[in-house]
Amino acid sequence: MSKEQRLVGRRAYRPHWPVNSHKVFKRRRWPGTKRSMLKLSGRYNPKTLRREMVLTDKKPLFWSVGLLALLLLPLGVASDRFFTMFGIICIYAAINVMWTLIIGTAGLQSFATLATVGVGAYGAGYLSVTYGIPWPAMLVVGALLGGVMGWLISLPARRLDGLYYALLTLGLSEFMRNFVTQSDALGGKFNGALFGVARIVPSDLLTTQLGQSLLYITAFIALLIALAVFRWVNGGRTGILLRAAATSKEDESFASALGIDFNKERTRVFIIASAMLGFLGAFYATYIGGTSLQIFSLDLLLLLLAMIVIGGLGRAEGAVVGTVIVVGITQWFTEWGPWRIVLVGALALASVLFTRNGLFGLKEQIQEIRERRQALHRAAITGRYAEYLPQQAPDILDKSQIVGRVYEKSLRERLRSWINPDLIAEHEAKPMGQHSDHLERMLNYFRKAPIPDKYAVYCEVPFESYRVVALSGLPGVPPRVVDDKVYPTLEQAYHAVFLRRVNDLRAS
Amino acid sequence: MSILKIDGLSAGYGPVRVLHDLDLEINPGERVGLVGLNGHGKTTLLSTIVGLTGWQDGSIEFRGEQIGGRRSHGMGRTTPHIVRKGIALAPQGDAIFPGLSVKDNLDSGAYSGATWRSRRRRRERILEIFPPLAKLLGQSAGTLSGGERRMVSVGRALMSDATLYLVDEPSLGLAPKISVNLVAALCEIDLGDGAMIIAEQNLPLLEGRVDRVLGMHAGELKLDVGEALGDVPPAAGVHL
Amino acid sequence: MIEVLISAAVLASMYGLVAIGISFTWASIGMLNLAQGFIFTAGGYTAWLFAQYAEVWGITGPALSVGVLILGMGGSAIAGLLVGSVAFLPLQDRANFRTRSLIATLAISLIGTQLWLIFFGPQNKPLPPVFGEGRIEIGAGGISYQQLGTIIVASGMLAAVIFWMRSSRHGLQMRAMMMNPLGAAVVGVSVRTTGMRVLAISGALTGLSSVLLAQIFFVSPTSGTQPLVTGLIISLAGGLGSIPGTVAAAGLIGLAEALTARYLQQSLVPFVLFGIVVLILIFRPRGLGGLLEDVRE
Repeated sequence: MSKEQRLVGRRAYRPHWPVNSHKVFKRRRWPGTKRSMLKLSGRYNPKTLRREMVLTDKKPLFWSVGLLALLLLPLGVASDRFFTMFGIICIYAAINVMWTLIIGTAGLQSFATLATVGVGAYGAGYLSVTYGIPWPAMLVVGALLGGVMGWLISLPARRLDGLYYALLTLGLSEFMRNFVTQSDALGGKFNGALFGVARIVPSDLLTTQLGQSLLYITAFIALLIALAVFRWVNGGRTGILLRAAATSKEDESFASALGIDFNKERTRVFIIASAMLGFLGAFYATYIGGTSLQIFSLDLLLLLLAMIVIGGLGRAEGAVVGTVIVVGITQWFTEWGPWRIVLVGALALASVLFTRNGLFGLKEQIQEIRERRQALHRAAITGRYAEYLPQQAPDILDKSQIVGRVYEKSLRERLRSWINPDLIAEHEAKPMGQHSDHLERMLNYFRKAPIPDKYAVYCEVPFESYRVVALSGLPGVPPRVVDDKVYPTLEQAYHAVFLRRVNDLRAS
Repeated sequence: MSILKIDGLSAGYGPVRVLHDLDLEINPGERVGLVGLNGHGKTTLLSTIVGLTGWQDGSIEFRGEQIGGRRSHGMGRTTPHIVRKGIALAPQGDAIFPGLSVKDNLDSGAYSGATWRSRRRRRERILEIFPPLAKLLGQSAGTLSGGERRMVSVGRALMSDATLYLVDEPSLGLAPKISVNLVAALCEIDLGDGAMIIAEQNLPLLEGRVDRVLGMHAGELKLDVGEALGDVPPAAGVHL
Repeated sequence: MIEVLISAAVLASMYGLVAIGISFTWASIGMLNLAQGFIFTAGGYTAWLFAQYAEVWGITGPALSVGVLILGMGGSAIAGLLVGSVAFLPLQDRANFRTRSLIATLAISLIGTQLWLIFFGPQNKPLPPVFGEGRIEIGAGGISYQQLGTIIVASGMLAAVIFWMRSSRHGLQMRAMMMNPLGAAVVGVSVRTTGMRVLAISGALTGLSSVLLAQIFFVSPTSGTQPLVTGLIISLAGGLGSIPGTVAAAGLIGLAEALTARYLQQSLVPFVLFGIVVLILIFRPRGLGGLLEDVRE
């Protein structure tokens, strides 16, 4: 007796394997940090039950494949056109990644990107032309100038509202353009163009294949540096906190409640990004050996904006992919003339009109559309499942239970409609063995009923007297006898249990 | 013919569903109280009638004309058309225009169609209903007290040529005495062929003044007591 | 001194029109229309086209002037409606409307510049003088017909628009929408219809300024950038959405520009303007008349 009692309500022979996921793979970390290289998780394949690893975060994979392609494609093709196009892609992508850092992480809607780049380019270029400083010094000067410029621009940001700040910085490029045009030292004579800046690759090499490849590799390295800075700032503690603050309604007091000086950190990120922009400007000057007023034009700024918008605001991958698309169009279809800019504008317009956040926001957008559809669908099916809509059962944490209950309810309704004298007669004639489909389904439903208060047959004397009991469901508590009827055969007892269950089903 | 006939109406915001399969019928000349706790869907019901919820599904017939239907976006896009058909809503809170004068605020209620020309007469009628507003006509609405703002808000709804008036929580945030006066004034207005729905948390305010009271609980209409308003036991579904 | 004042008034009235268009659009429909430069050039090119055909048809004198003014405004109003139907109507009740419509208008201005380049070429197009040529001498200084006409037409137009806003039914509806969009919807004001109307009106104002400015400069594909930036700066300094603030800021900026050009150097004008705006914004982050934002909350 004691053995049966122990088995009540419990499957004794469920297989268990020891879960030792720490032994499944060895975690590799970036040297000097506690960050793991790849986000892997060990698990057992539900079908084969083999130990296996799953790559939970596939981004590093995509990044490395994409960057490798970006590096190898022009080097492999090795035509001038490819070098030019991909060089521009790398530099613009680096600028856009830094802009993304300003807009996305720092949360400052600044349009002063190209102004900062231009300051770096003109400042370093001027020093190079006038005093003949070499290119490494130019890069340092560019970064310094960019940092100072960033600090200056960030001053009004503390006082101004997001939109006001955006408009103010939008005017900055125009302002810088006027400044350069009026200034003789900065090439006002040549309509703002500056020539003869020190080249990063020696000029005599430039005509050769090797020189072109080297030049392209430097641009690629500039992009890598920008991405590393983005990763360092955006993935660091302040970056994460800043983004957390920005997602919750851009609430600065919330951020300060998190323990960070919002304004200070924002400014810090902005200055880092600006220094990087100045660096890129200087790099651009030494990359093409000069600079021109085009860098301050509103159209170029809009083109850069289009790149970010097409890719998706606030994401590094969006900035890079958007740049590849837009620069690809503008550099590849040069024979289309102004029409390609129109095409880029139309693409940007389409991505603003039809997507929430560019290419890389599509996934979330589709998710949201699906959720809305589901809401409408739920509205349509009210009649059937009115009792168990997820919104009405907020106390049930496991939403699959709600689904289960909804299913059980519809199942009960279906089974109830099958109850008829024929079915009962069929069971009475043959309680055990093969049955008709409906009866079999009904019996299956009865069998999986929960143990507490489940009807069972109790054998008083084998082959002589049987009784119907209800299980208690608790170990150590005996079943209770439900009535005083005694059945002479097991079949009759079975049928009695069946009738009771049918009655309960009817009443439910 | 009934003025408003709602059939199987569900509505909500995003994934949240607030109204569950509602049926409701309002007859001409009727003044209906809608009573229920905070967050049980009174405001949502009134907003849904004028198309101000995130999504909605189900039939809303206003004087035999379908103004509901299935909609999952474009919140508020149909509102002006519905309002011009003759439904006036005094929304929760005030939604008055703080920079405009009280007079302009009232006039904006008579914005649609031919009512604009008769706005002076209509304004005088509102001033009869809410005499305190008469002295304030030239004042900027942003400087008014809570009770005065509510009067402006309700008065603006009454300015229009509507047959169905929806008044959302007239007593919310007001001192008891002011809210009693306001609701009393609302209940004395001659509706003619029109009808009025007043959403309230406070049942005693409406008792004896309206033709019938509906209870609202968890997005469903729970109670339809008709004339026997006095006999409603508190436990019958209305939580106060 | 009189000349400086006159030149300040001329500049103020031309840029003020653009600024008021931007400000007005922002206040009533919450959209920052950065395609204002495109709208600006649209008016200029329409007027230029009309002037070309007018020569063929033999229209001259006052008829030509009136036609240029009206068609300039009309072309810009249509461009405004176009911008509205692309950047306002589809986005109006979507998430992130402000940012998205801002980007959309920027994209339109990117496309617009290229389209002008394709259809009209990069050359500068002159417009015929609308107010005739000549001067009125007053004491020490004088005022040319063109300056006088600019001031009169611009301020007259502005006064008409403001009067119409203050007194008419549609004006009431626009002001109501500025204050409280929900309340406006509840009284039956359609945000979409009114928004398009607002865009057409601010477009017409911009078109007028385009024709007036083309009296001094020319019409070219990128001629909209400068007025856009100046208009933005003025509307920022005046406080977005405040018409009195914008008028005051336009006067201030016009005066500053005229003074700088007269007594310092033309090349310093952008510096001075920028400095003034930064100063104003640092001391009054919402601009001169920027109380509206608080009222809106």
